[in-house]
Amino acid sequence: MITLTINNKEISLEQPMTVLEASRQAGIKIPTLCYFEALKPYGGCRLCVVEVERMPRLQTACTLMVADGMVIQTESDTISEVRRGILEFLLINHPLDCPYCDKAGECELQDLVNKYGPAVGRHKEEKRKVPESHKDQILARNMERCVACTRCVRMCSDVQGASAISMMGRGNDTRMEPFSADSFNCEYCGNCLTVCPVGAILSRLYLHSFRPWQVDREVDTVCSYCGVGCSLTVQVRDDSIKRVIPKEGKGLNKGLLCSRGRFGYEYIGSDDRLTTPLVRKNGKLEPATWTEALEIVADKLQGIRKESGGVSIAGIASPRCSNEDNYLFQKFMRMTCGTNNIDSISRTGYGAAQKYFEDLLGQGITSNLIDGLKNSEAIVVLGGDPTSINPILGLSIREAARRGAQIAVIGNAKGLERFKTLQITAPVFEEAAVLESLLAQVFASKGERGEHAFLDRGIADMAAGTSTVSDVKGLDDLKKILLESPSTSIVFGTDLVQRSDGHRSLFAVSGLTYLLEARLYLLSEKANEQGVIDAGCVPDMLPGGRPLHIEDFKKKFEMLWKDSLPDFKGKTLMEIIEGARTGDIKALYIMGENPVFNLPDAKYVKEALDSLDFLVVQDIFLSETAELADVVLPALGWAERTGTVTNLERRIQVQKKAVETSAGMEDWRIISEISGKMGYKMEYKDSEDIMDELAQVSPLYRDLTYKEIDRGKSIWPYHGEPLRGAEISEIPAGEEVQSGNGADYYLAVDRPLFHSGTLSRRSPALTKIMPEPVLRISAASAEKLGLTDGDRVNVTTSAGSSETVVVVDDSITDNRVYMGNNFKDRGACRLLNFRLDSVTKAPGIEGCGVTIEKR
Amino acid sequence: MAVRFELIMFNETVINEINGIRKKYPDRRSALLPSLYIAQREFGWLSLKAMSCVAKALNLPEADVRGTASFYSMFKHNPVGRNVIQLCTNVSCMILGAEKLVDFLKSKYGVHPNGTSEDGRFSLVIMECIGACGTAPAMLVNTDFHDELSESRIEEILEKYK
Ligand code: SF4
Ligand code: SF4
Ligand code: SF4
Ligand code: FES
Ligand code: FES
Repeated sequence: MITLTINNKEISLEQPMTVLEASRQAGIKIPTLCYFEALKPYGGCRLCVVEVERMPRLQTACTLMVADGMVIQTESDTISEVRRGILEFLLINHPLDCPYCDKAGECELQDLVNKYGPAVGRHKEEKRKVPESHKDQILARNMERCVACTRCVRMCSDVQGASAISMMGRGNDTRMEPFSADSFNCEYCGNCLTVCPVGAILSRLYLHSFRPWQVDREVDTVCSYCGVGCSLTVQVRDDSIKRVIPKEGKGLNKGLLCSRGRFGYEYIGSDDRLTTPLVRKNGKLEPATWTEALEIVADKLQGIRKESGGVSIAGIASPRCSNEDNYLFQKFMRMTCGTNNIDSISRTGYGAAQKYFEDLLGQGITSNLIDGLKNSEAIVVLGGDPTSINPILGLSIREAARRGAQIAVIGNAKGLERFKTLQITAPVFEEAAVLESLLAQVFASKGERGEHAFLDRGIADMAAGTSTVSDVKGLDDLKKILLESPSTSIVFGTDLVQRSDGHRSLFAVSGLTYLLEARLYLLSEKANEQGVIDAGCVPDMLPGGRPLHIEDFKKKFEMLWKDSLPDFKGKTLMEIIEGARTGDIKALYIMGENPVFNLPDAKYVKEALDSLDFLVVQDIFLSETAELADVVLPALGWAERTGTVTNLERRIQVQKKAVETSAGMEDWRIISEISGKMGYKMEYKDSEDIMDELAQVSPLYRDLTYKEIDRGKSIWPYHGEPLRGAEISEIPAGEEVQSGNGADYYLAVDRPLFHSGTLSRRSPALTKIMPEPVLRISAASAEKLGLTDGDRVNVTTSAGSSETVVVVDDSITDNRVYMGNNFKDRGACRLLNFRLDSVTKAPGIEGCGVTIEKR
Repeated sequence: MAVRFELIMFNETVINEINGIRKKYPDRRSALLPSLYIAQREFGWLSLKAMSCVAKALNLPEADVRGTASFYSMFKHNPVGRNVIQLCTNVSCMILGAEKLVDFLKSKYGVHPNGTSEDGRFSLVIMECIGACGTAPAMLVNTDFHDELSESRIEEILEKYK
């Protein structure tokens, strides 16, 4: 127990801390400028000075640790005078252009000068001039305003880990240098903007367009992009989003954001938004009224159901939509259309992996808190770059690295380049073999764990049949690290699912997780990939992950939903597409998804959709898929409607409505209107109403309410225990496959930090940061091909060709080349072929041998 | 492997030299100053690309390298002449006429503070105290030290630097 006196108030502390923290805890305010809670104390500005008895000079409260018996004064005439002096010095160079500066009103310097500062300065010298750089299109940096507190630099290097900026020069000349404009490794997280106390770092997205006190509304909500689900605050004026900011210390992201969350919101106000329903007339999509459009859909679906039965109807749900939307969607498909043919794009990665892991290891196996990652002593990263797929999760890995954890990267993770301690490169198509070999080696040392007999047996069988892959560098080191580490995390990206033998990798990772008692994290590209599954948008499971083939569950749902459920085995995503091609599927209802662009082999998918009798697409943009539809229904987007989403930790959070628009209708409302017209009543007041029903029918969400979710009481396993343990007793056997075509270079789908699916390309800020697709290739490949940065090339596979720009990337260690799937007509997916994994039904990427030619 | 960076790069010997320095310290950052000196020796001055080479060779963020390099006056951020004169104009030197020597260098050799003579023979950098106050005025030419300067002595000294 430490006892000290601050401003004559006696304070007792359990824990040692700084004088500043102790004062704040006691409700005593001490002014600061270079201090920021999330950053290491710096002690540079000296504004926090206090008097400490028996210490000769004033002390900086932000760096001074408390000691027993200390007597401290935080305000006195001397202190005020020193603070005034410091501020006067800062104002020698500060331009005092507050009337023109966006920061005015929320500027820490302004507030401090207001309280302590001199009314006039005595310095006659000219203020220093630092020419403003206009090169950066996102961050406006005005270094004349910089007070050299170094908060931005500490944020960028110690928390974000990008180290893109630095204090330059010295003395009077000191300023933070905006390297990003020169294409440094700025990740455009904007976290430097959050911490800058003055107007030296601002956002060009709203430069000079409003004052902080001029917002109509401020809504605390959740990001729309990835499966991390960061908390953020949307500020609105005149029903348009003025800016997105994080709240200090709030949410699982603790006040940090990534480029997409902070700068990617503009798609909501895009001029390209669908504003009215479209109906195909004489081969052309024409505007129509809601009544007309909804009636056509209801009639058509009703007719097809009557004629060919529910089996000929299918639905594709969306990980961009809310739990409520997806719940109603599958209820509509099953009850109103009479079909179990329902799936989502999640099948191509997250969903396939999740099902496999849960079948083997029990429900909730991937539901681990992101925050826990930073306490791991070993982290294995494979199948994708966490720092670009789920950037805020990526920061926890960097944090673990800073704390001395071993970081092993299998494959490519550019964002961990300066953080990894071990790199393993598995040859293309041999990833599964490498992982099996690793599992076999770990098993050889550790033996059975003895919790799941069938799993122990499965691992033993596999190990017996596996020859050790000996020529992969680093595998032995990794084994050693894993055997020694007391707490291991595995961060699994879904690239490895997209192999026709993906189930082998999934088994190997399950085995490692099991033997090492590791925490398993599953990367999730879109905001609600977990929610789609939990809402029941999979052919074989009802809401809450209840298997449809178990009669008891089926009965219960039939009672709750007051009609009988369809009886046949539903088709998975790629089977639906194939069904459309063969004519088994006649009508397809797509909510918020763009299969033509997002699935491999666009030509095949397009042909399949073209052969349908009836295609409905519900979306906020006229996507490549919507262009093929018979009826297009405009939906509402993020920030325009309220609904819950489930992140990759399985935390449920509410995305709230912030702006009013007449553009479309909520996805769930469109569905319930059509359902009503087809004779199955769905009457809900709002999304909360739907959640109430979902919480009744889904044992997973038992009794969960919006109120609780808002209070943060929505972390797995919510109100109870996981519903099921390992559910199978046999390792699913897959077919033997032989892939690979001896190509010189292989195309892999990249997931760039600055883009996400096809939404981000409608956000001007993100397209300014990354205006066109790039091809990342290794230095060795570049040399062989005679290419350098910026060269324009044609990338050609057997499926087609695309133009792109070369970026030589030292983090790539093999003959893979990486290209994203984000830009119109220039996505990577359409260049790929696929073959289904016989176990997971995920499309395994094939035919990815490429040739690269300079244009 | 050599670190490649467009037109300029470190050759194998230099990389080995830097790796050697790196091994002397527990942490990469400590090898930064000596490596910057090497870059300056190799390329004459620290261009952005030269600093990139250092960053790559040490696997440090470029921002850190630039920030550090910008702090110290012994690093040159512009191309310099064949010989660099570093003349002190701090108190002792100033009192003993260093300012006049600056004018002399200007008129006689056409070299201005922070500039380079047209023939590329000399560059001039104005220094704060170089620790020779007792024998002021003083200057460094490249790494050679000269004190008790006067116009004629400067003329005599600079004869040796072509
Ligand atoms: S935006 Fe992020 S990465 Fe870029 S300089 Fe700021 S903190 Fe660093
Ligand atoms: S730019 Fe802002 S945060 Fe960075 S040092 Fe200057 S005042 Fe501080
Ligand atoms: S990490 Fe994901 S959820 Fe968080 S701000 Fe970025 S895109 Fe949004
Ligand atoms: S806040 Fe303590 S020195 Fe700046
Ligand atoms: S003042 Fe010139 S050397 Fe000290």
